[in-house]
Amino acid sequence: MNSVHKLAEADNQLETSSAPALRVARNMAARVVGLTKSYRKNKVEVPVLKGVDLEIEEGKFTAIVGQSGSGKSTLLHLLGTLDSPDSGEVWYEGQRIDCLPARQREHIRNKQFGLIFQFYHLLPELTTLENVMIPRMVECGFFRFWKEKREFKQRAIELLDKVGLSHRLHHKPSQLSGGEMQRTAIARALISKPRLLLADEPTGNLDRQNGEIVMDTLMKLRQDEELTIVMVTHDDEIAESADHVVRLVDGRVA
Amino acid sequence: MYKLLLSWRYLKTRFIALASIVSVTLGVATMIVVNSVMSGFSNEMKSRLHGILSDVEIRASGFNEITDVEHNVQIVKQVLADDLESVTCVVQVPGLLNFSFNEKQFSQPIMLIGIDDESFGDVCEFKPFLTNATNRSQVSFDLRENGYDESLGYAGWDYRREKEENRIAVHRMLGEPLPYDPMYLAQQAAEQAAITGQAEGQTHFVPLPDQVPDLNQLAADNEIMPGTELDRSVTGFSEHSKYMPHEPIFNPMEKQYTGLIMGMAIASRKVIDPEDESNIRDVYLVRPGDDVQLNLFTFGERPVPIAENFTVVDFYSSNMHEYDSSFCFVPLSKLQSLLGLINPSNASRSVTGIQIRLKEGADLDMARDRLSTMFPPEVYMWSIQTWQDTQRPLLSAVNMEVTILNILLFLIIAVAGFGILATFYMIVVEKTRDIGILKALGAPSSGVMSIFLNYGLSLGIVGTSVGITLGLLFVWNINEIAAMIEWMTGQEVFDQTIYYFSEIPTSIEPMMVVFVGLGAVAIAVLASVLPALRAARLHPVEALRYE
Repeated sequence: MNSVHKLAEADNQLETSSAPALRVARNMAARVVGLTKSYRKNKVEVPVLKGVDLEIEEGKFTAIVGQSGSGKSTLLHLLGTLDSPDSGEVWYEGQRIDCLPARQREHIRNKQFGLIFQFYHLLPELTTLENVMIPRMVECGFFRFWKEKREFKQRAIELLDKVGLSHRLHHKPSQLSGGEMQRTAIARALISKPRLLLADEPTGNLDRQNGEIVMDTLMKLRQDEELTIVMVTHDDEIAESADHVVRLVDGRVA
Repeated sequence: MYKLLLSWRYLKTRFIALASIVSVTLGVATMIVVNSVMSGFSNEMKSRLHGILSDVEIRASGFNEITDVEHNVQIVKQVLADDLESVTCVVQVPGLLNFSFNEKQFSQPIMLIGIDDESFGDVCEFKPFLTNATNRSQVSFDLRENGYDESLGYAGWDYRREKEENRIAVHRMLGEPLPYDPMYLAQQAAEQAAITGQAEGQTHFVPLPDQVPDLNQLAADNEIMPGTELDRSVTGFSEHSKYMPHEPIFNPMEKQYTGLIMGMAIASRKVIDPEDESNIRDVYLVRPGDDVQLNLFTFGERPVPIAENFTVVDFYSSNMHEYDSSFCFVPLSKLQSLLGLINPSNASRSVTGIQIRLKEGADLDMARDRLSTMFPPEVYMWSIQTWQDTQRPLLSAVNMEVTILNILLFLIIAVAGFGILATFYMIVVEKTRDIGILKALGAPSSGVMSIFLNYGLSLGIVGTSVGITLGLLFVWNINEIAAMIEWMTGQEVFDQTIYYFSEIPTSIEPMMVVFVGLGAVAIAVLASVLPALRAARLHPVEALRYE
């Protein structure tokens, strides 16, 4: 109970503290300042990000492009609090989130961000419907989930219907095609009604046709769910359809 | 929620983990079976060991006597006060038992115990082990008409009379009628009448032997040598005995000697039917109603060998071979007079042991110590022992066996724990990416950890409950299982002639089952802690990148 209260408090704090920040940058959803990150590989430090500044406008579709190894995915991970930067700041809705305690970062990830990966990353033991509901299960305890199960399920089915998978509710990921899996992953990313969708090459592992379906689905949902999208992509066509394009070259914004 | 769901799905889809839990199952089942059988054995053995042994016994060591019995019993009563349930005195001496079977003489050393039939049953578990139903409620040294266990076959007065009738008939046929043969007695009476009356001129002259044996000696001989075949040696005197009209003739048809209750294993032998090995039957050398002879030494400075006839009136069958094969019980007063334990000057009787039963729950060792201080060994030379002291070597051997077996078996379960650890570690490695996904979706490390702890717990519970079920089923049907193994292998699993019991005794102690179960579950959980920690410490980005 206690932890739930704290989380609720953190939520409130997030909203109240974001108000003055929004006045400064009214339509900024997220912002990174002077971000650096390096990985240690066989005792040799490999710098990946060398000071990235970036602003992500609310409600817009930002594409991050760049060559392999330019740090696109790392930037996305840092933005999504999956990893912490060596230096620099990550701001989300007027709050600095990179130095929050783990529990709060987990909560933000769970409630505010939707994540999509290149390799879908569905849980193979669970059905499509269960995979979509997993963020809700992570969020709620056993009893709260049980109480609100009907509501969650309705939302999941609604989302799966929007991504065109209402006929695949009880299939395991191994029984789905790549496109279907990615669309399931989209539904999963949106189940908690996030504000920011972080997508890491969502079409990178799909053929053109399926890639287009996935992109169409995303664009349609973007309207319905009022999403801010940050997408790492290799695909120039997708980059062209974005509101903003950020090009990373050798760990810096070009 | 996801923790339960995922542990459950992992449980359902990963049978390799179930295989790793089989060792826990087997370990738990084995522990339950072994503990149940061992405690069954030791309970049964304890109750049987205890059986004839009183809680505490004061015994004069060797061939010595406790004099001034009443005074000493009073002291015992004062010392033990509220803890005392009842007390009885016994005379316990070694002796040699003689009897005849199939025209051969059998001799066997025995332990003869003179008991007070009123109080002995209150102190020791004695009555329940008798074979006569009436004796089980009221011990008596008189031969019963009937009421003996059917397994004995023919026994009691009916048996004795029929046996004697046969013997009389045999002796008549041999022309050597027995002195109590009614026909012979009638004939003799007629002869006597003829001699005294001189009714007819003819005299039926029967010559006197050259030398008439000492009458007292004869009488004694006659009494100490009963039994069908032994009598034949006596028949030489039987002709003379008719000239001893004042010596009362002992008629076994109507009378018995002093009663004797004999250990079942002295009187019978277990014989395995060569046709059917599972059929074990008892062959009786002696039955209630037969007469036996006891050879004893008197007490005192110059022990004198004496012989006395007794009539077997019942069997004592505690199924404790050590006791059944050596104990014979006779009336205390008879034994005291036989052995010279009655002081001729003041008619006070002495005994060799005082047996004491304490109230339920009384501390045996403390009672023994209190008696020891009252009767210090420096003065009395008595041994004061609880029944557990008497059987100490056996009991402590059993206890040690149980302890060592438990340690070994628990090590088996601990080994199973390492199996679980290895399996779980592999599963965590296999699930690295899933763990990364969960963390990316906001699952805390503790949540990820508890997936695997839950998993270990549920596997432990499944394995343990299956193990407990199997173990209990095994214990409940252990005799059928033993019989089946015997039938399949032809090898006898449980030899009734070796053990004290006719079937494998078991006793399930609920606390033992609970402890074994909790221990096994704890081991399963502990074994999953390490893999779970590894899972919890995984970095989401690296876990997601893991191929």
